[in-house]
Amino acid sequence: MMKFYAFILMQCICLTAYTQELFTFTEPASNMAARTIGFRANSIVMQEHDTKQMNFHFLPEVMIGISKKWMLHAEAFISNRSEKVNFEGASIYGKYRFFSVDEVHSHLRLAAFAKWAKNNSDIHQLAIDLNGHNSGYEMGMVCTKLKNKMALSTTASFLHALDNGSAHPFVYGASYRNVLSYSISVGKLMLPKEYIRYNQTNLNLMLELLGQTNWKSGKTFIDLAPVVQFIFLSKIRADISYRFSLSNDLYRSASNGALVRLEYNFFNAF
Amino acid sequence: MRKTIILVLSFFCCFCVSAQIKNVTIQASGLTCSMCSNAIFKSLQTLEEVDSITPNIKTSSFIIVFKSGSSINFDRLKKKVENAGFFVARMDVQMAIDTLSLYNDVHIERNGFLFHFVHVTEQTLRNEINFRIIDKGYLTTKESKRFAAYTSMPCYATGLTEACCVHIQQPLGTRIYHATL
Repeated sequence: MMKFYAFILMQCICLTAYTQELFTFTEPASNMAARTIGFRANSIVMQEHDTKQMNFHFLPEVMIGISKKWMLHAEAFISNRSEKVNFEGASIYGKYRFFSVDEVHSHLRLAAFAKWAKNNSDIHQLAIDLNGHNSGYEMGMVCTKLKNKMALSTTASFLHALDNGSAHPFVYGASYRNVLSYSISVGKLMLPKEYIRYNQTNLNLMLELLGQTNWKSGKTFIDLAPVVQFIFLSKIRADISYRFSLSNDLYRSASNGALVRLEYNFFNAF
Repeated sequence: MRKTIILVLSFFCCFCVSAQIKNVTIQASGLTCSMCSNAIFKSLQTLEEVDSITPNIKTSSFIIVFKSGSSINFDRLKKKVENAGFFVARMDVQMAIDTLSLYNDVHIERNGFLFHFVHVTEQTLRNEINFRIIDKGYLTTKESKRFAAYTSMPCYATGLTEACCVHIQQPLGTRIYHATL
């Protein structure tokens, strides 16, 4: 299995020209432009392993470019996992770009980020997910390299789960509250072959390898997520992805599913 | 108090009416996608003095033409690119002149700007000059090291007039742009 992962990674790294860094499941080290506001509608459909029930999660998100180095995201969690549509919580995410070496058509950037999430749904899995499942916080770093239109981004972070309110305490014990999360992401711009105008539609293909390891037990999950991404008019983005598990040692009740994201950006919004 | 005076003088020096600037071409670094280029385009568009911008997405460059009689500030253009999340890799200026005599390390005052030309041969130019600003923040990281070797004068490191700028009738600490042909 390790050979398979290594092969996938090598394929990712060996992709040639025209890669983008606007990944779906992870953020790049680059920020959105200052004084820009973006709106996202994230729709996720996951299938429960045991019941085969399909869960629908809707995560509306607003993004704000505070300055050239700071940006903020705020997100709400709405789901029908408890058999009716509920507002389950919200999160706030901040990112600070602290290192950048830029050349024409290339850059190496580093950023630090932190996230805090509040969720009132029941806790039903060992894996920590601050996107609609757990209350908690996350701190991490992201490194993104772009060269000759090829981008490679890697993220590492520490997550700590809190109780989902007094009604839904974290029942798996203190040792399962802490996990390490990590990812490697690559992508390739397929169209247009040559940029001429802002109204040309971009077609990007991306691949994200996403993992999490429990701090003490060493239990791990690793997912792979291919993404098809369209960018319209240089300000509207549509992502379609299917995320599936390669290894699910760190238990999740639903690890496979599809994500559709729509995003609209308002430049110079304030 | 000295800093305040210098700041005020710098402000007036940089914001003088500069109708003689015909256009500025900026090449940005760190981007490849049209969404990133669009962010820079939109950011530059917010400047009142800008009349038109012609972007070239492939080369990440923007040709900027200014409104007649408007105030132009190169640092303000740079800041707009940086606010979009990127950096200036190159800024070329096309400026109208009458006659201009250049030699290496010459310090001159033209059209409300202070310039220090480096790495130039002795020559006299008429009608028009095309030059490149080479201050810190106007070059890629690799080029910064190369251009830093072209002059040993301390004003290049600070971008402000220093004791080396003896031919300039401006107080110390005034913004001075370093340029080459």
